[in-house]
Amino acid sequence: MAILIKQVELSWLDRTYVWPILKGMAITLGHFFRQLFTPTAKRFTIQYPEMKKEMPEGYRGLHELKRFEDGSVKCVACFMCAEACPARCITIEAEEFSDLNLTQGFEEKRPKRFEIDLLRCIFCGMCEEACPKDAIWLRKDYELVGVDREGMRYGKWDLLNTYAGLDGKPVLTTDPKPSTPSRKEVACS
Amino acid sequence: MFLIFALITLLGALAMFRSRNLIVAGLCLVLCFLGVAGLFLLLANPVAAALQIIVYSGAIVVLVLFVIMLLNSHEEEAAAQPHRIQRWLGALAAAVLGAGACKAVLSSPGLVRIGQESPARVMDLQQVGTSLFQQHVVAFEAAGLLLLAAMVAAVALVKKEL
Amino acid sequence: MPTLAHLLHLSPETLWMVAKVLIVFGGPFTLASLLTWVERRGAAMIQDRIGPNRAALFGKWRLLGLPQIAADGIKAFLKEDLVPPHVNKLVFWVAPLLTFLPAVMGFAIIPFGQSFVSGGQTYHLSLLDPGNGMGMLYPLAIGSMAVYGVLTAAWSSNNKWSILGGMRASAQMVSYEIGMSLAVITVFMRAGAYDPHLIIQAQLGLWNVLPQFLGFLVFTTCMFAETNRLPFDFAEGEAEIVAGYLTEYGSMKFALMYLSEYVHMVTASALIVTLYFGGWRVPFVADPGVWLSVLAFVIKLLCFCWLFIWIRWTLPRFRYDQLMKFGWKVMLPLSMANFLIHAFLMFKGA
Repeated sequence: MAILIKQVELSWLDRTYVWPILKGMAITLGHFFRQLFTPTAKRFTIQYPEMKKEMPEGYRGLHELKRFEDGSVKCVACFMCAEACPARCITIEAEEFSDLNLTQGFEEKRPKRFEIDLLRCIFCGMCEEACPKDAIWLRKDYELVGVDREGMRYGKWDLLNTYAGLDGKPVLTTDPKPSTPSRKEVACS
Repeated sequence: MFLIFALITLLGALAMFRSRNLIVAGLCLVLCFLGVAGLFLLLANPVAAALQIIVYSGAIVVLVLFVIMLLNSHEEEAAAQPHRIQRWLGALAAAVLGAGACKAVLSSPGLVRIGQESPARVMDLQQVGTSLFQQHVVAFEAAGLLLLAAMVAAVALVKKEL
Repeated sequence: MPTLAHLLHLSPETLWMVAKVLIVFGGPFTLASLLTWVERRGAAMIQDRIGPNRAALFGKWRLLGLPQIAADGIKAFLKEDLVPPHVNKLVFWVAPLLTFLPAVMGFAIIPFGQSFVSGGQTYHLSLLDPGNGMGMLYPLAIGSMAVYGVLTAAWSSNNKWSILGGMRASAQMVSYEIGMSLAVITVFMRAGAYDPHLIIQAQLGLWNVLPQFLGFLVFTTCMFAETNRLPFDFAEGEAEIVAGYLTEYGSMKFALMYLSEYVHMVTASALIVTLYFGGWRVPFVADPGVWLSVLAFVIKLLCFCWLFIWIRWTLPRFRYDQLMKFGWKVMLPLSMANFLIHAFLMFKGA
């Protein structure tokens, strides 16, 4: 296909080159001064460690395992997320409660081990969609670093606490003693 | 000072002849020219020194090096061994020329005056100009014409169709 | 001045010479390293960025990124001094020197302030005193030597990109030198002298820019070409030939070459200021005195250094054939026209 080249008729002033160069220089100088007098907060560049970018809604960052009010895991170890995961990075080991009379948030099954290998995770959000209990969320933290491969395998307690500091919740290290009533008590009342 | 500059000039020239590499030879030639410029300075003729640097080392050798680089095949062709008789003839011619030049310089009337009118006055651009355009104007124009003719001839040789 | 010299047990001349040497070699050097900072920050601002601002003294004082200069220097010194195996060793080592020396030497003739009298003696603020006979031919001569650094660096690197860069640089410098010389000759002719002190003296009422605007344009353009700055940076042309003659260079040798580009810039600005902007002259002040004159000179110098940087971030690079065409078909006729016009005017007695 032939390419049509548009011939531009330059005016006399433009053909001296001096005038267009001056115009260009005016543009660059304008940018220079505009940038010089813009306060740091309003510049395009985000000064990273001091300033952080506000991530948009729907951003899929680091995972969080949600918990109930009393601090027990919402996850019921149904393996839906592990099945949905295209990267196969979720490892779950389920456990039953030792005392079936006690429920934790009315559930009887919970993960003993819940591990995400974040080096394999592709942050697609399939686990979030698959979860019937809304127990796993991908939130906005993008500062994900580790010094070795093992350090990037986040376990149950890591995942439960990923956003604890941000949300002002306590950091959990053990499953709480259930404060919710046992099934018997529920049945009695 | 004279010894230093003379040594620079001579060593540059010698190194140029000795070096097998064309570019290094060119750089040695520049060194030699710089030495000559220094000698001009000692002769109280800074204009000649500056022109020596600008024209010879600055322009001509750059052009020569440019052409060498352009045609550089990175493989030095073995120079054809000159015949022995050629070599002797060359040495003889150089010796005769050198002796003639020395004799001409030594017998020139200017040399006698050098001893008498020291220190020599610094030559500046104005004097060069006036002497070029007043005393040597015919020679100057002739040289200009010659160069122009050479240039036209070069263009005519290279360009097949004008 | 004599009292200070007496305190140091030196004759005033010796002291003054030492001081001048320090100023003339230290000044452009310092200015050049500062210019690397100005270039990076200025470029960033022009492109709506921020530029290097993280380097900090003792991890505390950032000072707008100025410590970056020191950091770069330290880095360049401590890096491995790598010499590729295929280079011509001797020439490869000599090339940075050949680039650097002409850059620093060029400043020696420039008067950076008004001469002053102290203790019955006149002190000139330029390394080479007036009346040395070299005058403005000296920076031209030194400038013409500058091409050897590029050429030797390019050739000794034994690398196709380098050779291309070096050849472009040499062709460019040779072709732009002619236009530049003609522009300078017009200044000589108008001033009736070629000594920088006398040229500045001749610009008492009116700086040379106004009557010789054409010459100024030509000279400035040629200076851009001579310093290998951006619209003419064919020797490096990183989009086309990697880094041109610098491709094989690293560590301090590279830093030296890089710095000498900025020293060249300072010298070129000084030349422009001296030839066309009245050197150390202050507008409307006939006799500004030493300090004011030095200040005026430095301010003008900085303005032109900024112009070099500013142009670099405004204009794209020429194409090689455009460059040659521009040099021979535009610059040369323009400077010739400038020369002829002024010759005619002088002949008419204007």
